[in-house]
Amino acid sequence: MSEFPVFFLHGLAYAGLLFLVSAGLTLVFGMMNVLNFAHAAMYMLGAYFSYSILMHFTGQLWLPLMVCPLILFIIGAFIERFLLRRVHVYGHVQELLLTFGLAYIITELVKLYWGNYPLAVNIGGFLGSTVSIFGITYPVYRLFIFLCAIFVGTVMALILYKTRLGIILRAAVNDSEMANTLGVNVPLVFMGVFAFGAALSGFAGVIAGPLLSTFPGMAQEILIDAFVVIVVGGFGSLGGAVVASLIIGELQSFGVLLFPKLSIALVYLLMAVVLILKPSGLFGEEQ
Amino acid sequence: MKLKSVSSIIIIAIFLAGAFMPAGLKQYQLNMLTEIIIFSLYAVSYNLLLGYAGLLSFGHAMFFGLGAFMTAVAIIHIPGLTLWNTILIALVATIVAGFVIGGLLLRTKGAYFALLTLAFNSLFYAVATKWHTVTGGDDGLSIKRPDLHLGFTTIPMAGLTPFYYLTLIIVGAAIVFCWYFTHTAMGKTVLLMRENEDRMKFLGYDTNISRLILFTFTGAVAGLAGTFYTFHFQFVSISAISVDMTTAVLLMTFVGGTKTFWGPILGAFVYIILQNYLSDITDRWPLFMGIIFVFMVLFIPGGLSEVIMNIRQRLFGKKDNNGRKSTVTEEVTS
Repeated sequence: MSEFPVFFLHGLAYAGLLFLVSAGLTLVFGMMNVLNFAHAAMYMLGAYFSYSILMHFTGQLWLPLMVCPLILFIIGAFIERFLLRRVHVYGHVQELLLTFGLAYIITELVKLYWGNYPLAVNIGGFLGSTVSIFGITYPVYRLFIFLCAIFVGTVMALILYKTRLGIILRAAVNDSEMANTLGVNVPLVFMGVFAFGAALSGFAGVIAGPLLSTFPGMAQEILIDAFVVIVVGGFGSLGGAVVASLIIGELQSFGVLLFPKLSIALVYLLMAVVLILKPSGLFGEEQ
Repeated sequence: MKLKSVSSIIIIAIFLAGAFMPAGLKQYQLNMLTEIIIFSLYAVSYNLLLGYAGLLSFGHAMFFGLGAFMTAVAIIHIPGLTLWNTILIALVATIVAGFVIGGLLLRTKGAYFALLTLAFNSLFYAVATKWHTVTGGDDGLSIKRPDLHLGFTTIPMAGLTPFYYLTLIIVGAAIVFCWYFTHTAMGKTVLLMRENEDRMKFLGYDTNISRLILFTFTGAVAGLAGTFYTFHFQFVSISAISVDMTTAVLLMTFVGGTKTFWGPILGAFVYIILQNYLSDITDRWPLFMGIIFVFMVLFIPGGLSEVIMNIRQRLFGKKDNNGRKSTVTEEVTS
């Protein structure tokens, strides 16, 4: 039974990563009503950019942690301004198709530039070391991921519910015409939200690099788990994303320990059960 | 009335033209044509969901792949299985799967539905990858095409030409049946549900049941396409059930156009020919396909069939506008 605490911590680390990915996804969905299928592809871009920066400039993770979200912010703003806004008039199906197509193109570009094989990211220093807590030796990096997730979640909640910017955001979502009349530049707000979502995905990508390997299938892998998180937690709900990330992170972790053969099916099983009992998710509003 | 007789003539003409193809085409071209017919059925079934019912699914490959795998598994594990029974087994499996999955997923709409279909496709893919003893995992399954028993005679299916004829007749008939389906009361119900669901409910239609029937039907049709895919290549691998297979059908349907019945068939033609051509000159053909797709979504949302319709209307528009509005709008909505 000595493995239990270790697997619990593993679960927390994966939950942290899942939250970082799904927070951006659920934010964009909640605010703009756009389900961004390219979100995971942008997360992968973040991981690859991080890999290149670590290889060419410095072995320290701090540089990509600051630069990659910035790059992804610009890419996201570009996508929203020149692509997504064009198809907005055609309706949701067209928006989904566009982001799906973009995910496809980004994946192919990544294969073209970085190659179709896994790349290992090694970080040295304090983050790469281990620490002893409660008598268990544990990698610092996994704890760092969890702390990052708490930090990002807290900052997002504070911005959304405690600042003037948050009020403007929520107003633009609730009644965009009225907000527009009152002098809020609604298109700019939407561009900002989408770009911020992209920046979050880039941040998550940098974080994921040293934990999981960086390879062209990583987007697909995390996308499904992130989708399950927002289905279970409820669409557009930040609190739901927190709870669902924790549930699924621990489920994945203990699933591998307790039922190795069934572990892939457990997540889907959970999703199916939630769909049957409460289709709008644990914290979602009724459709 | 007139539209129907014109359509029948076109359908017969296409079948006759198809019957003479083996005489004029080289072996690899005939191979490609067989593939095109199979993927046409797959794309047509997808368009019944997307174009007619307005349901965007990212998981159509699960039915295609299920049909393909059921075929291979049935042939391997049941010795002496006839061709008809193989098809029957695959059809029953996809119908059951379509009914269960549809029952679960159709409670959601729009983006939710799109996301959940993708998730279920991934589940199927994961099962196909891990369940090595049955599906062969990464190695795939090799089979031999069963011969066709007609009661009085047996036609060997090992050669390409007889298989081409079999595909032309059965898959062709399935495509015609899909076309017929869109003209039945059920097909119209689906179409009107897309336009105004509340009104249909008010008129006493159970929209949930109709949608479930349509979803199961399209799943079964995609499964039939999957069966012929396995017959054609005499091999099936996990790529048949992967999300890439959904992307492929999405591309075909979108390049061809979702607003007409024949758009996806045209799309399958263009896709398979382009794929063969591009994969000869570059390894990066998926990238080009992706760029074409996004370009279509951005600038030609109606696909090639819309372009053709626009040209036709510009050339012959006046004549059509005499009595009724025009054949274009009629075909789009009926």
